Amino acid sequence: MDELKHLGLLMLGILVAFTVVMTLVAYTVLAERRVLGFIQGRLGPNRVGPGGFLQPLADLLKFIFKEDIVPDKSTRFVYFLAPIIATVAALMTMVVYPFGPDVNLPLLGTVRMVITRFDVALLYVLGVTSVGVYGIALAGWSSNNKYSLMGGLRSAAQMISYELALGLGLIGVVLQSGTLDLQSIVEQQAGHLGISGWNLIWVQPLGFIIYLIAAIAETNRVPFDLPEAETELVAGFHTEYSAMKFALFFLAEYVNMFTVSMLATTLFLGGWNGPFVHKLPWLGVFYFLGKVVLFLFLYIWLRGTLPRFRFDQLMTFGWKYLVPAAMVNIVLTATLQWLGAFDYLAGFLKTQTGWGG
Amino acid sequence: MTPQLSWYLALSAVLFTIGVVGVITKRNVISMFMCIELMLNAVNLTFVAFSSFFRDLSGQLFVFIVMTVAAAEAAVGLGIIIAVFRNRESLDVDDASSLKL
Amino acid sequence: MLGLFFILFAGLAVGCAISLVVQRNPLYSAISLIGVFIALACLYVTLAAPFIAAVQVIVYAGAIMVLVVFVIMLLNVEEEERRPLRLRSLIPIALMLASVLFAEAVFIIYFVQANPATPTRNVSDVGLTSSIGGGLFTTYLLPFEVTSILLLMAIVGAITLARTGGLLSPRAAVVPGDVVLAKEMLDREKYIDVLTPVSAHTTKEAKDLLGIEDEGQSPKT
Repeated sequence: MDELKHLGLLMLGILVAFTVVMTLVAYTVLAERRVLGFIQGRLGPNRVGPGGFLQPLADLLKFIFKEDIVPDKSTRFVYFLAPIIATVAALMTMVVYPFGPDVNLPLLGTVRMVITRFDVALLYVLGVTSVGVYGIALAGWSSNNKYSLMGGLRSAAQMISYELALGLGLIGVVLQSGTLDLQSIVEQQAGHLGISGWNLIWVQPLGFIIYLIAAIAETNRVPFDLPEAETELVAGFHTEYSAMKFALFFLAEYVNMFTVSMLATTLFLGGWNGPFVHKLPWLGVFYFLGKVVLFLFLYIWLRGTLPRFRFDQLMTFGWKYLVPAAMVNIVLTATLQWLGAFDYLAGFLKTQTGWGG
Repeated sequence: MTPQLSWYLALSAVLFTIGVVGVITKRNVISMFMCIELMLNAVNLTFVAFSSFFRDLSGQLFVFIVMTVAAAEAAVGLGIIIAVFRNRESLDVDDASSLKL
Repeated sequence: MLGLFFILFAGLAVGCAISLVVQRNPLYSAISLIGVFIALACLYVTLAAPFIAAVQVIVYAGAIMVLVVFVIMLLNVEEEERRPLRLRSLIPIALMLASVLFAEAVFIIYFVQANPATPTRNVSDVGLTSSIGGGLFTTYLLPFEVTSILLLMAIVGAITLARTGGLLSPRAAVVPGDVVLAKEMLDREKYIDVLTPVSAHTTKEAKDLLGIEDEGQSPKT
């Protein structure tokens, strides 16, 4: 009976998290178009609802009703499998992020705001994003189109190169926190007013920059989006996809953006920590989502501002500059940890008392 | 019912056997390489099962080393395959059975 | 509950393994192998070894198989053709030997299970990251360091195998009939002093002028 209750709670958590994430992703698409419009001196879509509020619904209807074109000589099984792999791998990472501290619900008692909590959560996230590369490589291959193949292989090569820098950038945080469990890492970042304990400020400024650059490259966003740029390779690996399968790739890209933003928030920006969060636990959810939205805005801002890298510049940057910088960060963090610098800083930056911490 | 140690050993034996059948039967050298990886994984499963049931750490550490060696082997093996392909234009092991090009 | 998970993931692993061997298209075999790796990672989780499960997904399914899939796509590997079945007379012998092997395996596994020294429940805590990290850096430090040298050897080996341009000495002379690498033609200023221009009508004349011994067989022109 206890197991059944546990299972029911798990299903409810998955449902709620899925709904929240999907809604936010749909509105991120809209927000991107409007914010890009403002950066470029024009209005984005604003006709469909008040301020374009119902635009995601219109997009969804369009994708459902569009004709589904399948290229003639493509391998059917792999062609259908690729967007599924991309979407599932993007969504599977949702289960480990802590959305807030423990809250007291009236009917269910104390509920943890994380779907599941286990020992190797950070490695799990890295593993699942590694599997997401297959969606892109197989999509490029199965379209039977040399531009798609080149776009797919370039994109996959870029993703696996920057995955290395991503993982290495995270090791500094793990070294300092001593655990791979995301909820523990968030709890360790409590500080004065819930802000001073953040890993960004006092532990890992360099690690944060490395992680951010690697994350932008990992999700194939500007300035690293050559493999899917319209002017270069038509649309890269998803040229031959139409209607709902294209919608799945689109969704997978935005969910990936969401995932790396949530990871950055959890590891560097203190997750659900903020002022007065222990007195009012529901505020934690708002702080968390607010920080994630901040990162998404940063992504959109970069898209409107920067030109894109050429592919060889991209690979040179990833292997010759970012990976050595990440290793320097690891050595520096390990040395400082051994010398006890972090414990000294923790003495006055982190506290569990004070204003809500 | 909880799975017993013998279940895991039986599964590992089955996977290993399928791997051996693949290595013997396949003609494409990349398929043979993949069947070899399957055999390595079957052995990994045995190590982890023993380590878990006997609460001994060395099984899992050995699996760690085996994975590293498999990664190194994959890199060098695929490099050799590509180099052979450049010279012989064919990925069939029967075509590569003599040293003469 | 755990037994149900075991049956599910074991079935998935065996199914994907059979698909790996039966499929003739190497890309489908690669996808089946990814399925096997993910099923094995789930089995490691049922064995209370979450660190090894995560490392399995990252290393095997996320790196090694990406490499294999890249190679398959770049070399444009085709399907194997069906071969006709030969030596039909050996099939009964094969079946008999296979049943002997199967009987041996059942025997061994039954006696492993029936032995009272075999533990029956696996509530272990050696799979946690902290214990693996502790073991890796204290008792098993030597294998760890040797593995790093092994990886260095693999990197150097892979890069050496991938080199395309030859290691031609800049003092090599060019005679008519030689096949010239493009590098020499691009770098004319560098090689112009070293290459002595010869005016000859046949390969033999050029060789005499340049003082190269005849190796017997003329090169393919």
